[in-house]
Amino acid sequence: MVIDTRVCVGCSACVYACKSENAVPEGYCRDWVVQETKGNFPKLTMENRSERCQHCENAPCVTYCPTRASHYAEDGTVQINRSLCTGCKACLAACPYDARYIHPDGFADKCSLCHHRIEQGLKTACVSVCPTGSLHLVDFNDPDEEAQKLMAGRIVYRQKEHAGTGPSLFWISASNKPGA
Amino acid sequence: MTATAATEIISTKINPNVVPHLHIWEWQIPLYLFLGGMAGGLLVITSIMIVLKRKFGIGPKDAGEGCPCLAIRIGSALSPILLAVGMIFLFLDLAHPLYVWAFYTTVQPTSPMSAGSWILVAFFPLAVLQAMLVNKRQLRTFDVGIVHKVLDWTEGHMTIVALVNAHIGVGIGIYTGILLSFFSARPLWSSSILGMLFLVSGISAAAALMLLLAPEEEKPIYSMIDANAIWIELVTVGLFVLGGLTGSANSSGAMMHLIGGNAVMAGIPYAYWFWGLFVGAGLLVPLLLEFLEAAGVHIKYPNVAPIMVLTGGMLLRFLIVFAGQSYHTFM
Repeated sequence: MVIDTRVCVGCSACVYACKSENAVPEGYCRDWVVQETKGNFPKLTMENRSERCQHCENAPCVTYCPTRASHYAEDGTVQINRSLCTGCKACLAACPYDARYIHPDGFADKCSLCHHRIEQGLKTACVSVCPTGSLHLVDFNDPDEEAQKLMAGRIVYRQKEHAGTGPSLFWISASNKPGA
Repeated sequence: MTATAATEIISTKINPNVVPHLHIWEWQIPLYLFLGGMAGGLLVITSIMIVLKRKFGIGPKDAGEGCPCLAIRIGSALSPILLAVGMIFLFLDLAHPLYVWAFYTTVQPTSPMSAGSWILVAFFPLAVLQAMLVNKRQLRTFDVGIVHKVLDWTEGHMTIVALVNAHIGVGIGIYTGILLSFFSARPLWSSSILGMLFLVSGISAAAALMLLLAPEEEKPIYSMIDANAIWIELVTVGLFVLGGLTGSANSSGAMMHLIGGNAVMAGIPYAYWFWGLFVGAGLLVPLLLEFLEAAGVHIKYPNVAPIMVLTGGMLLRFLIVFAGQSYHTFM
């Protein structure tokens, strides 16, 4: 996924779309919106961004899972097999992004990158609802020209890359905005 | 002076037990780690005593018919019992306990929790066998066919059983620390010395328990073992603290969170718990008491020192588990 924070207005539509699409229980969220303000008044810059599981290439949650419940799907995303999850919570402790939670029904849960929708050729709920086109679904196994063009020449970052997790979410920094 | 740029972050993340900080493991896990460490320690101490026999003058006395003295018999039996109790707490912590079987349909070499769940199973047969062998005289009085058979097969091999058990005991003790120290996302836990710390703390707690339970004439041995274990534990605690403080911003920040910050556990800052109750009342004072006793000073309440050691050992697990969760993730 490539997330263009230049156009994110922090409306939380992605959060609500996810909640309804994935029946996320009340009081929980699989994705969330972060507003980061930097600098000293009056020189302030702000970045809004939508965050979720990073679907790491070297995911500590998968490494640590004792039962294979957390695993890599064929497409490279990190998925959870609920019928193997004991709710031991090791994956919650292992995730440097705090992307997971324990579902009230007793299993670890998180963003599945709308696995069930992608299988049908659809986009994820958050991407399909984003009103400003901030969220872009990219197949990093085969990145298309549009994604390359989106990131080329811009300041793009990944979160906590130095944790060695190989996160698959890329943010186009708000500092690319004119005047930032 | 130029003002440094401030950063303010507002997030809509609301997940309970994750925000504002991780709070996934409560009293069950530290209690399990304490009981597991003590079970490992008991197995180490009793096994080594059995292997040593009376060599070096510290092995168990023979209480007749090849059975070691009372303390070894109690300690050998308590080891699997305490671990079983600890595993009940571990089980209670699972969000979906009915799926506990899932641990035993796979071996995940990269997951310490998977390795641990198998070590726990491997522990029981030999630990229970050792408990049976040292208590064989009492067991034979029940006159159960299968028990007689097991004892007949194995009673000639007690030394070998104990030798293997000494290693399994060390494995269990270290594993209780490794369980936490492999989480690189949690800076306080991410210290490889945690395995050693929990091992020596487990051995010291086990020695303290043996000291409480042993008959009067056997007490000096366990007092000596405990004093030595406390010494080693003090050094290990020192290395753990120094390793954290001299580490990266993640490690030093997390260590300060434990030993010097304003964060609290049950209303009292971690620093007071750590320095006052764990290092002071759980290590230094009992070490002094046991030293004085060994030097011949009459201590009016000899049970005070081992009780302080046991309380300190349990407190250490609570402190590490809670402080490790309440500090922010790896940055």
